[in-house]
Amino acid sequence: MTHQTHAYHMVNPSPWPLTGAMSALLLTSGMIMWFHFHSILLLFMGLSTMLLTMYQWWRDIVREGTYQGHHTPVVQKGLRYGMILFITSEVFFFLGFFWAFYHSSLSPALELGGCWPPVGIYPLNPLEVPLLNTAILLASGVSITWAHHSLMEGSRKQMIQALTTTIALGLYFTILQATEYYEAPFTISDGIYGSTFFVATGFHGLHVIIGSLFLIVCLIRQLFYHFTSTHHFGFEAAAWYWHFVDVVWLFLYVSIYWWGS
Amino acid sequence: MPESGHRGLQRPLPLACDGESSSPLPLQRQAPLSHNSELGRRWEGGRAGIGGSLSRGPGERKLRLCGDLIPEPSLLQSVVVSVAMASRLLRGAGALAVQTLRASGPARMAVRSMAKGGGIPSDEEQATGLEREIMMAARNDLDPYNMYAPKAAPGTQEEPNLVPSITDKRIVGCICEEDNSAVIWFWLHKGETQRCPNCGTHYKLIPHQLGH
Repeated sequence: MTHQTHAYHMVNPSPWPLTGAMSALLLTSGMIMWFHFHSILLLFMGLSTMLLTMYQWWRDIVREGTYQGHHTPVVQKGLRYGMILFITSEVFFFLGFFWAFYHSSLSPALELGGCWPPVGIYPLNPLEVPLLNTAILLASGVSITWAHHSLMEGSRKQMIQALTTTIALGLYFTILQATEYYEAPFTISDGIYGSTFFVATGFHGLHVIIGSLFLIVCLIRQLFYHFTSTHHFGFEAAAWYWHFVDVVWLFLYVSIYWWGS
Repeated sequence: MPESGHRGLQRPLPLACDGESSSPLPLQRQAPLSHNSELGRRWEGGRAGIGGSLSRGPGERKLRLCGDLIPEPSLLQSVVVSVAMASRLLRGAGALAVQTLRASGPARMAVRSMAKGGGIPSDEEQATGLEREIMMAARNDLDPYNMYAPKAAPGTQEEPNLVPSITDKRIVGCICEEDNSAVIWFWLHKGETQRCPNCGTHYKLIPHQLGH
């Protein structure tokens, strides 16, 4: 009998890292084809292979952890480190866009009129929908904490309700932001104001969508009884990510919507 | 405690609570939780409540709001409803948020003060594979997968540190004093008890078969 004598998980060979790398190549080259040659074929192939890779890779992780019991305490610790490092990398990603915003807004160029907001830009009123969005995300932070405590205390129905609430608030935020984008009097091509506004809030919105999808997956897993009251790292990872999204919004709101108006 | 978590709700669930379960998750469990949860009743009642108050219109609620300084549940409802009415965008989906705030506050406290709602499996019931093995071994103070540093024995000639090995020798790293950063490494051979060249504590190799 040659069983391992350690508690780590030696993962079986898997094709998904390769298909993921191939989809990255298709996505990048696909974007070039779309931007320059108006063709979406490669991009479409890249998107579909990316989605297939994500679905199958994460499905396999759920199988390995929940159904096969490979996620021992040390393995879980590694997953925690991984998620924290990933979120840290995302923090730095957003830091770049905040740097760009503050660089342009703290000493506004002559061409903008030497002021911020630039001449001709009428920013959104921070006390209208943006404030509502702030309240929505803060409330979703409360509801996801409620969901976590319900899970730890063993209350299935409450956990499902709280998690559904969180997802609903996240979707509500997304819908409101989408209408704001549609109704905004300025566009991404309206100088540096438009660029910094839409790139920063746009990537944030994308992260809200990603976070909402992560939470939806957690809801489905909870419905299928995957989580136990002491072992539910998938949910914790989603909660960490969601809090990160919330914090980024708070910085966006204070910097771009409020100070920048 | 964990086993009776959702047994209390008297659903006929095919759970294995013998502590030895390694079966896959019973995905067929679809028992609805529609009975005795107080939260469930509040949730159902909440919708009608909000619907009723909204139909009464905002003005009346706002007058109450200005006059009241003492916080009370109905004031909270008034504040919540007024905020809901103030924004033209909160009609549809916003009602959901308001219901949530209203239903979650008092109901949450009530459930916490009651016995657990139940319905969420425990590791005792559901852990499987290596995770379960490690969990069960840890209960008996065993560490078959070497997750933890070995506990130090007295280290005397009569009571040497016992070092298991599946062959005739094994490397030992002796941390002579706590927090020493220089670890003393040496081969420990089968046979006589050896001593650490630095601190002199005794080590003895114990031939050992893997249990798994």
